[in-house]
Amino acid sequence: MSMIKHHASIDTLAEYAAGQMDEARNVVIATHLRLCKQCREIVRDIEAIGGVCLEDAEPVAMAEGALSTFWKIADHAEPITRSASTQPDNDLRPEVALPLSAYLPGGLDAANWRPVAPGVSQSIIEAEGYRRNTLRLLRINPGTKIPTHSHGAQELTMILRGAYRDQTGDYGAGDLADLDGSHTHSPEAFGDEPCICLIATSAPLVFKDMVGKVIQPFVGL
Amino acid sequence: MAQTRSKAAFSEVFAYFGPRVKGYMMRARVPAEQAEDIAQETLLKVWRKAHLFDPSKATASTWIFTIARNLRIDAIRKQARPQLDPDDPGLKPAEEPQADELTERAERDARIRDALHILPNAQQDVVKLFFFEDEPHSVIAQRLDLPLGTVKSRLRLAFDKIRKELGELE
Repeated sequence: MSMIKHHASIDTLAEYAAGQMDEARNVVIATHLRLCKQCREIVRDIEAIGGVCLEDAEPVAMAEGALSTFWKIADHAEPITRSASTQPDNDLRPEVALPLSAYLPGGLDAANWRPVAPGVSQSIIEAEGYRRNTLRLLRINPGTKIPTHSHGAQELTMILRGAYRDQTGDYGAGDLADLDGSHTHSPEAFGDEPCICLIATSAPLVFKDMVGKVIQPFVGL
Repeated sequence: MAQTRSKAAFSEVFAYFGPRVKGYMMRARVPAEQAEDIAQETLLKVWRKAHLFDPSKATASTWIFTIARNLRIDAIRKQARPQLDPDDPGLKPAEEPQADELTERAERDARIRDALHILPNAQQDVVKLFFFEDEPHSVIAQRLDLPLGTVKSRLRLAFDKIRKELGELE
């Protein structure tokens, strides 16, 4: 998608491609990848490195008779047919991108939205992370600003609808903000519709001012 | 392997990849018996999808790696939720590829193999540990006696060198 301006870092893509990422962050990256050919190509390169590593791997002998065990099942196994994709590749709406939709059976609007601050509501998505509730949707009304904060470790944010802007630029649907502890930002939603983001963190946020510190325990960010 | 679905040929694929996939699982601390089962399951999936595999889209190793990796993630995770797979690299695309996709992926995979193998051994080891170990960053830090922060930059350096070989980076 040529409209995507912000991408995952190579470190992040490598963690994904090697299968070393927790489920919460994995959902965010897989959803971005569904829409972002550029990142997909990099993941493919890293998967090819994984293929070579597998060739070079120290083999561990299989149990005796493993091959005949295999054929006993394989001889009767049906071929797997390619499941028809219901979504054309040029469908830009990230909320229907397959990886995320598996977690949101009712779609974005049916998510369990709860207000957490004026102009901000969130919905938790069940997924394994560094602790519970690390994967969440955030809906920010235009003009609303999230208090200045940095991140204990990594914060992956994918924009599903609307747009926000922070110190690092403007983000729109499909964009991915891949931030770590060195970034401090205060994103502000803009445009004519609420900005909906999918967020996974690998450590708690670090708020810089009183407002953030006060709301943090309630928001659970 | 794809077109023929020949049992004899596939038995060789099994003999080569089965023990490697088992070894790959055990490195992630999957118990031996379960590792054996997952190796079986991986190869079964490969066999059942073999007719869809397009050798110009990926080398068999790349494709089998992604199948094994996804099953490994499923095994390690507490909850059974199938691994997301936005782009299974080995499968024939449903539609005609666009012009810029016509570069043969499999050829690129072969170049990636060469690029990895010309890295100094110490760097290859970092890359391999990254793919194999459970919690790889801390394992690499411990094995190579590096600060955790240095591990990421070592990895990035190795990946950058490989991509430079491919002409992706200046």
